Amino acid sequence: MRRAVSTSLVPLVLASSMAGPVQAQVRAVEVRAPRAFGYMLGDLVRAQVDIVVEDGFAIQAASLPQRGALAYWLDLRDIAVSQADAGDARRVRLDLTYQTFYAALDVRSLEVPGFTVSFVSQGASGATTASARVPAWTFTISPLREILPPAKENPQDYMRPDGRVASLDPRPTLFTGLGFAGLALAAFAGLARDRTWWPFRVRRGRAFAAARRRLRGLGGRPDAAEAYREALLALHRGLDETDGRRVLADDLDRFLDRHPAYRGQAPGLVAFFEASRIAFFGNDTARARGRLARPEIAALAARLARAERTA
Amino acid sequence: MRASSNPTGTLARLRLSPENLHAAREGSAPGFRLAGAWRRMRPHVLLALPVLALLAAIGFGLAGWRILRDDDTIKALQAGRDVPVAVDAASPLLLARVQHLARRGVTEEIEPLIDVLDRRGEPDRSARARYALANARLRQAFGYLERGDLDPAGPLITLARQDYRRALQDRPDYWDAKFNLDVASRLLRDFPDFDRKSGDELKAEPNKIWTDIPGQPRGEP
Repeated sequence: MRRAVSTSLVPLVLASSMAGPVQAQVRAVEVRAPRAFGYMLGDLVRAQVDIVVEDGFAIQAASLPQRGALAYWLDLRDIAVSQADAGDARRVRLDLTYQTFYAALDVRSLEVPGFTVSFVSQGASGATTASARVPAWTFTISPLREILPPAKENPQDYMRPDGRVASLDPRPTLFTGLGFAGLALAAFAGLARDRTWWPFRVRRGRAFAAARRRLRGLGGRPDAAEAYREALLALHRGLDETDGRRVLADDLDRFLDRHPAYRGQAPGLVAFFEASRIAFFGNDTARARGRLARPEIAALAARLARAERTA
Repeated sequence: MRASSNPTGTLARLRLSPENLHAAREGSAPGFRLAGAWRRMRPHVLLALPVLALLAAIGFGLAGWRILRDDDTIKALQAGRDVPVAVDAASPLLLARVQHLARRGVTEEIEPLIDVLDRRGEPDRSARARYALANARLRQAFGYLERGDLDPAGPLITLARQDYRRALQDRPDYWDAKFNLDVASRLLRDFPDFDRKSGDELKAEPNKIWTDIPGQPRGEP
């Protein structure tokens, strides 16, 4: 918006270079504004000041007018300085934003006060200063209301009302919360499926999880030898199901080639197959348990089930 | 450890195979490393996702509940009930409280609330709160003028004009504030007894901080 405004700036005051030694240093001062009329109480009034100075002169920031109230009816809100090269000279542009608080009864002309800006040039022989006088300029302000409003019984009726806070709408926030709750539910279902929790107890690709559950179910068996053999069988079944065929001790390295996710469990599996051979072919459960005890089988099944989830 | 003493030598053969297999699969699929990383991360992601989503749902639910409660309070204030509001309440609630106090003319309780809005950096709500405060003062001034009591009315109008001005500084396009500032400014014209030049602008003058206190004697006798 500001750019659109500045394309149609109208020159208001053109101060040609002044007489005296300043002449060569400050070449021109020009004040421009989008318009010099049609302002109302509280409006922002923008002006642009172009000062052309000799090359090498820099503006002294302390000499710029201060932001704040300039008069009881005028504020200086903002002042921005930009510089550009203009041939052999330097163009310093001040973008000033005023705000007027003049409560006009009729259209009347107001004068924005001028000010002086200092420039300094650091030469070999010392600093040279120059000052540019930005002239005052005028704009006209228009009234907001008729001079004599129709009479009202209660003078408070002349005023605009206090205004009301719009009621707050909690729906967007609550719907977002509901959306996240739904997402949490779906994500929890995904987690339950991954971990074969209820209702995903039986699912393809989770043979070791099933074996682990079967092992847990063997806890209270009275016959220790029978329970041990059942535990071995449960893990065997898990291996067979994972591979889709019977896996015997000699198939182990091919099994691990086909399912590299379980390669970390190779030592445990080797011990398991050894214990299994002793238990079933050597028929010596006690020695087999010495090789791989029940809790170790359970731990192996747990590790395999964890590896299964990353397969 | 136990496996290394394995007499069958299965493990010794196993030790060689992983590298071969890894090299073979890496050569065949360029995205293998990424896919492998995803496979390893998947259980953790699946665990974290429901937890994070649940936390977000709880957070939004609490925020929504708070908005509902604030809306009830705003409606009660607008219905004229004097509901207390803490200074750390939400900004719309503070503004509703300011407007309620302004309607009842309790101007001295409004200014701390405006300070809170100022500190929160909400120029729009600060402007609306100042406008309500200025309206309250202007109404009080009208009340004095109707009774023909000019002395307390003047400072009230001056304070109202200051607050309209501050509201307009925060929000230059606030048309209601422009309008009421015009109303207040003409009052000073209509009653030339009031000091027309007195501190309408907000120049910081540390030595004259108290010039606009109502009831303070000013000027020469």
